[in-house]
Order: sequence, then structure tokens, then C-alpha cells
Amino acid sequence: MSDTGVNDTIDGDVARYATAVRAAFADLPGPERELLLEDLEDHLQEVAAEAGGPLEERLGRPETYAAELRASAGLPAAGAGRARPRLRESRVARRLRRSWRGTMAHPAAAATAEFLPELRPAWWVLRGYVAVLAASAVLGGLYPGDGQGMRFPVPALFGSQLLGLLAIVAAVVVSVRLGRRGPAAGWRRGLGVAGNAALGLFAVVLLLDLGARTAGDDDPAQLVTVYQRASWGLRADGREISNIYAFDADGKPLRGVYLVDQDGNPVVATHNDNPFLDPRELVDRDGNEVANRYPQAQQEVDPATGGRSAVPAPEFRPPPGPVRSP
Amino acid sequence: MDTTQLLKGVLDLAVLAVVGERDGYGYDVVRRLRAAGLDDVGDASVYGTLRRLYAGGHLTSYVVPSEEGPHRKYYALNDAGRARLAESTATWRAFTDAMDKLLRSEGEAAA
Repeated sequence: MSDTGVNDTIDGDVARYATAVRAAFADLPGPERELLLEDLEDHLQEVAAEAGGPLEERLGRPETYAAELRASAGLPAAGAGRARPRLRESRVARRLRRSWRGTMAHPAAAATAEFLPELRPAWWVLRGYVAVLAASAVLGGLYPGDGQGMRFPVPALFGSQLLGLLAIVAAVVVSVRLGRRGPAAGWRRGLGVAGNAALGLFAVVLLLDLGARTAGDDDPAQLVTVYQRASWGLRADGREISNIYAFDADGKPLRGVYLVDQDGNPVVATHNDNPFLDPRELVDRDGNEVANRYPQAQQEVDPATGGRSAVPAPEFRPPPGPVRSP
Repeated sequence: MDTTQLLKGVLDLAVLAVVGERDGYGYDVVRRLRAAGLDDVGDASVYGTLRRLYAGGHLTSYVVPSEEGPHRKYYALNDAGRARLAESTATWRAFTDAMDKLLRSEGEAAA
């Protein structure tokens, strides 16, 4: 037998033994398992290299070895305590778990996973604040609809931002205490996970909404944004139509033309942020919405100076009338 | 008396002492413990203890290329490990002193 042949036999024995040992640690989370077992193979290789004979003869059965390793590493015996009987894994789940394990074995991933738990206290603080924001949103204190926009960053509770501030302090204290106590057991643990997920989702939604709002904070522009949201806009061949000009048969521009569709519904043009629309164009004398009167007096903004000027009407010359007058 | 039960309580101290004496890789620590007279020490126990001490921040490690076989991960004490070793040594001395006294008076009574 050649030298490589001997090494191959040893490697195979080590690999088999290591796999059997690793199987007894399937209940541990990936990073913890890797930290414990990352040089198991190298270590077994040393044992195997020192004296001949299969590893099992020298170290005992892999299950026994694993049990001893668990005990000395300060872990509960496999299958004891919290560990629940594992449901049979589907093929997809197993493949996912393998690729997850492969990803987590990368040093960068392992370092990140090690660091993530340190972010927990930050989430506890944020969680308390987000909980008050959510309560305020439910009670209508976040967007009171009094024209002053959203109450942020201090939400109002029952109409009082001071009350909101006190609630934030109290909620952060409670949240941190809950966090420090660690995960609860049984159904309460499920409740905790669901609550965390709901608050996390709320925080993301709030952030997106905030982004949309700050984009249209300018006063008249904001009004246009509101109308823009209220309308689906008008398109021809996929192109946005922001204004409509009507001319009579003599080429005279018509003003104050109301457009309705085949069902009598107002036809509302698409309003971009630019050109700006004078908000007065969109309401009648009684303050009701009139969004289908054309042409609308639009203004455009010079990006360099910020000054506004009226958008000029397009040129149009009507063709000679139809062959036969109606 | 079953020495494996005794070993469980003092394996941390034994491993810290061996590594404190001279840096070593896993199997080297096993061999040195056995050479020192702890014949019953289990390979898996030493490996698990080393990894636990390492994860707990009492040991540092570095890899040394080996000509035959795999690269070796050497363990060394850091400040936390040295502090732990000193503390455990003191506890051990106090404990063995108490046990010695107890056994001596026991011996006198029997004599």
C-alpha cells in the first residue's frame, strides 16, 4: 500500500467519525456548533496519526465521545431539556439548512452572526418607542388631520405630545426590562415573537411613509401630491397627460372646459411635481374639488433660481373643417 | 474512588495549568495531562474544555503549519485565562488544605 493510500484510509475514518460526532450536535444553532466543532477534524486527525487502528477503538463510540464533549463544553445532554422531537424534514428544508450552514461557515458570516446579538439592546429601546408610535397611530394621534401634518418624532396620545413623551419613556423602560429577562417559555414566547415581528413591520411601514411624506413637504407641491394620489392620472399611449388644451374650429383656445368620460366621470390629468399647479385651480368657489376643468393654469419651476413661471400653451392650428358640415 | 468524577471538577484548572506552562494544540494538551498522571482524562473532555475556555475568552489561538498532517491550532493563555488560573489555583489550594486537614485528623482518630 502506498503512503497516500494509508492517508486516505485515515482521512476516511476521521471523516466518518467526525460526521457521527457532529450528528449529536444538530440541536445547536449554527454559529455555536461551529465554534465548538470547527477543529474537530484536525484534532481527530492528530489522534489518528499518533497510533494505528480505527478511531473507534481508541476513542470509543462516536455517540459516547459526543456525549463527553457536550458535558465538558457545558452543554446539556443531547435530547434533554428544551430540545423537542424534530419533525421530519422535507428535502427542500434540508437543502436550505445545508446551504445556510455553508453560508454561516464563511468567516465573514460567522463574524456578523456573532455581532448581531449585540444589537439586541438597541432594538429593545427602539421597540418601546415604536410601540408608542403604533398606539398613537391606532388612536389617531399620529396623523390628526388638522392640516399640520404628522406628529413626529414625538407622537401625541389623546391629543397631548407631552403624554406621548411620557409614554415613550415608560415603554422603553418596560421594553428593556422584558428584553433583559430573556425569552419567556411556552405560549408567551410565541406571543413575544409575534409582538416583535408586528412592531418591526410597523417600523418599516412608518419609515417608508415618512420617506414619501418628506419628499413632498413643500406647501403647494404637497397639495398637488395629495391630488396626484387621489387621481389615477390620464394617459395616452402610456404617456402621462398633465394638461389639456381645447380649441374651437377657428383655432380659438377655449377656457374653462369641463371634461368627462363616457360615464360622466371627471377626467383628471396626471400631475407631476413639475409643472406645479396653482392649488386654486383645483377647487370651485365653494371649496369643492374640481379637477377636470381645462386648461389648468400650470407653473414650472426654474431649478436654478427656484422662480416660477406660467407654462406656455402649445401652438395649435386647426385643419380646414370637415368636408361636410355637421 | 472514581477519578473521572474528581476530574470533572478540576479539568478546567488542569487544562489552564498545562496551557499556562507552555502553549499547546488539542492532542498535545491531552498527552501532557496524561503524562502528568491524569491517565483517565478523556480526549473529548479535553477538546470540549479547550473550546469552551476559548469561546469564553480565556484562551487565544493561533495556527502553526505542520509538515506532516494538518495545521495545528495552538492555544495560549490570555490575561483573562491567567487571572482565571490564579483564582482557580487559590481555590484549589484552599480546598486541598481543608481536605488534607480533614483526612489527617481522620487518620489520627483511626490510629
